[in-house]
Amino acid sequence: MIKALAKVAVSAAALLAACVAVAQQFPERPIQLMVAFPAGGSTDVGARVVASIAEKILGKPMVVINRGGAGGQVGWTEMARQKPDGYYLGYINLPATNTVILDPERKANFGADAFVPIINQVLDPGIVWVRADSPYKTLKDLVDAAKKSPNTIRTATTGILSDDHLAILMLEEAALGAIFRIVHLAGGADQLKEILGGNVDVAFDNVGSIAPRVRSGELRALAVMDHQRSKFLPDVPTMKEVGYPSVISSSTRGIAAPRGVPPAVLKTLEAALRKAMEDPEHIQKLESAGLAIKIMVGEEYAKYYRETHEQAKKYTEWAKSRAHK
Amino acid sequence: MDTLQHLVSGFAAALSPAYLTYALAGCALGTLIGVLPGLGPAAGTAILIPLTFKLDPTGAIIMLSAIYYGAMYGGTITSVLINVPGEAASVVTCIDGHQMAKQGRGGTALGIAAIGSFVGGIVATVALVVVAPPLAKLALRFGPPEFFALMLFGLCLVSGLAGRSMLAALLMTVLGLLLAMIGIDPVRGAPRFAFDVPDLYDGIGFIPVVMGLFGISEILLAAEAPALAAVRTRLSRLLPSREEWRRSIGAIWRGTGIGFFLGLIPGIGSIVPTFMAYVAEKRLSKTPERFGRGAIEGVAAPESANNAYANAAMIPFLTLGIPSSPTIAVLMGAFIINGITPGPFLFQERPDLVWAVIASFFVGNVILLALNLPLVGLWAKLLEVRFEYLAVGVLLFCLVGAYSLQQSIFDVWVMIAFGVVGYVFRKLELPLAPLVLGLILGSPIEKSLRTSLEMSGGDYSIFLTRPLCVGLLIASSVVLIGSALKLAPKTLREA
Repeated sequence: MIKALAKVAVSAAALLAACVAVAQQFPERPIQLMVAFPAGGSTDVGARVVASIAEKILGKPMVVINRGGAGGQVGWTEMARQKPDGYYLGYINLPATNTVILDPERKANFGADAFVPIINQVLDPGIVWVRADSPYKTLKDLVDAAKKSPNTIRTATTGILSDDHLAILMLEEAALGAIFRIVHLAGGADQLKEILGGNVDVAFDNVGSIAPRVRSGELRALAVMDHQRSKFLPDVPTMKEVGYPSVISSSTRGIAAPRGVPPAVLKTLEAALRKAMEDPEHIQKLESAGLAIKIMVGEEYAKYYRETHEQAKKYTEWAKSRAHK
Repeated sequence: MDTLQHLVSGFAAALSPAYLTYALAGCALGTLIGVLPGLGPAAGTAILIPLTFKLDPTGAIIMLSAIYYGAMYGGTITSVLINVPGEAASVVTCIDGHQMAKQGRGGTALGIAAIGSFVGGIVATVALVVVAPPLAKLALRFGPPEFFALMLFGLCLVSGLAGRSMLAALLMTVLGLLLAMIGIDPVRGAPRFAFDVPDLYDGIGFIPVVMGLFGISEILLAAEAPALAAVRTRLSRLLPSREEWRRSIGAIWRGTGIGFFLGLIPGIGSIVPTFMAYVAEKRLSKTPERFGRGAIEGVAAPESANNAYANAAMIPFLTLGIPSSPTIAVLMGAFIINGITPGPFLFQERPDLVWAVIASFFVGNVILLALNLPLVGLWAKLLEVRFEYLAVGVLLFCLVGAYSLQQSIFDVWVMIAFGVVGYVFRKLELPLAPLVLGLILGSPIEKSLRTSLEMSGGDYSIFLTRPLCVGLLIASSVVLIGSALKLAPKTLREA
């Protein structure tokens, strides 16, 4: 009996050792890091910076591959069907990843559980902004106008069911009676063009892309959708300060793996990526690009993923049933 | 006066050995990226960004800009030689450029393209220095409704791309528009005609389609009659003849003008200006029948437009901070990562950087000309390679190119399928250019139409209350009616 137990113990130890050996061997070849957006976007910039540091730590190249298209769906579809061996990682952009899964029209062939979140890199809070000479000096001006003449203020998103689109719905929910005329644009550059050209009145976007222009006085930010003020824009009030504490929205970028990667491999990746993200070069490069680093690992990130999914679910359903689309 | 001073110090910086080296390296790398089909300027620039991490911001931006306009020229080389556009903006050049190569005038085609690109680039840069900020502001008035009207105008020009039959051209345009419908709806986000195939969610790739339609079908056609495919270029005929010069000069200036003005409007993309320049030449020509059979204007105009566009597109970028094409968006990423925000304040905050970069545009265009004219002879020699060998090389080149677009084998299949389609269409004498135009314009027309209606809350009068928009719509109807009048008697005659 004891002999049998010993045998089990020995084989268990051997197995464990083998596992450790595998984990120590990982990585044996280059790791692919998928970005579900085209080269040159802010997710891509962050990915290239972190990959160039992480590959030194891991000792094997980390190659950024861009699988852009369909608002990220093309890349995530591909990521969901990759072999879960740790050699294929990808960026998930919350809540865009969630809304692609949640919108029945998108017919996504993967669910929220297709990805295991490893580490979050950037959290870019939402922001409401207008032209410097806009009649809306404060968020109150804007909300009052939207209540007084509903569905007339042309309000730009960065795409249907983007975080900015959901944020508009959150504000409408918090400021009862205010209705915005939603115009879906393709991204931040389009927003800038149409706002400066006077074709749209107000834009919902994220702090990172417009902070330098707000600082230079070219644009005016009305409110930041975060719990505290942004360190890039310390003079802009939060939504809570202007009376809408429930309007909290952001766009995050983090690295995930397809479901089923061995825990030991995940640990190795998590440690290496964390070290890379805490590297001064990473911090300096991202901050100069206006991207606020927010490292979340393991259960904290997984919890954030679940919560974002629940919240996105509510507003996605609402967006689909809204009278003024 | 102030501007002149800045420009002089800019030149002093741009001509320093280090920056000159970066510009040279950028032009060479850019030309290479342009030559490789699939790897377009946007992806090429993005991949090379890390290379510039070690440089100072000015050096990094000089090099990346040089890659950008280098790629614009590089794409021409394969268009002319093997009928495969190396990057999207060189599609139109295939039509007459490759015909010229077949007639043994490949060297001349490449030469005039280099000269046209040079003129286009330099003129646009001079304009950038002289009139940039007010013009860029004006171009912003081009909102979604005006954009829609301009794209519609572009679509009406299709009649200018028709070969023998106007009906065939219309048929091909509609087919192109239908193909553009495939994929995720640009506004609502629902997949259309994708049949639950995830690869189709992003639509059919423009580059694989064009590589198939032009490049692969060319090989298939030539394989039928290999004797005819042998091309001999006389090296003595690299520079255009007097007659060709006479035809080209006007085309170069008009192409430059079209490219420049369209470059000011963010979002047009690099392909539309080349099409418009080509069609304008054909319409203005006294002998439009030469087009499609190796007309030198058909190379000179779009190539000038192409580079004028590339340099003019820097105007909204540098003065307003609006990236007007995917490649410039990548460049903007490089600016930002170096801690520089392009926009109205850049000229005041970092005049040293801005003017060194602008001066480097001049330097870069000279480098490109100096780099490419002597190489033209070398490139043209390629045409003397026997067809059996050349065809295999081209096929391999296309396969690798299609795959390298986004490392997707699906794109390779798309290219092969459209190669067969292109072969059949060419046998049936159906023109390919209108199909390409429909495919390019389909998505922006739809998107700007729907954004306009979102802006107006669904009210169509938005198109009739904006003067610029109305003007463009009237111009479109004039072109359309003009073509319709031409269509009727011709059809009757054929019937």
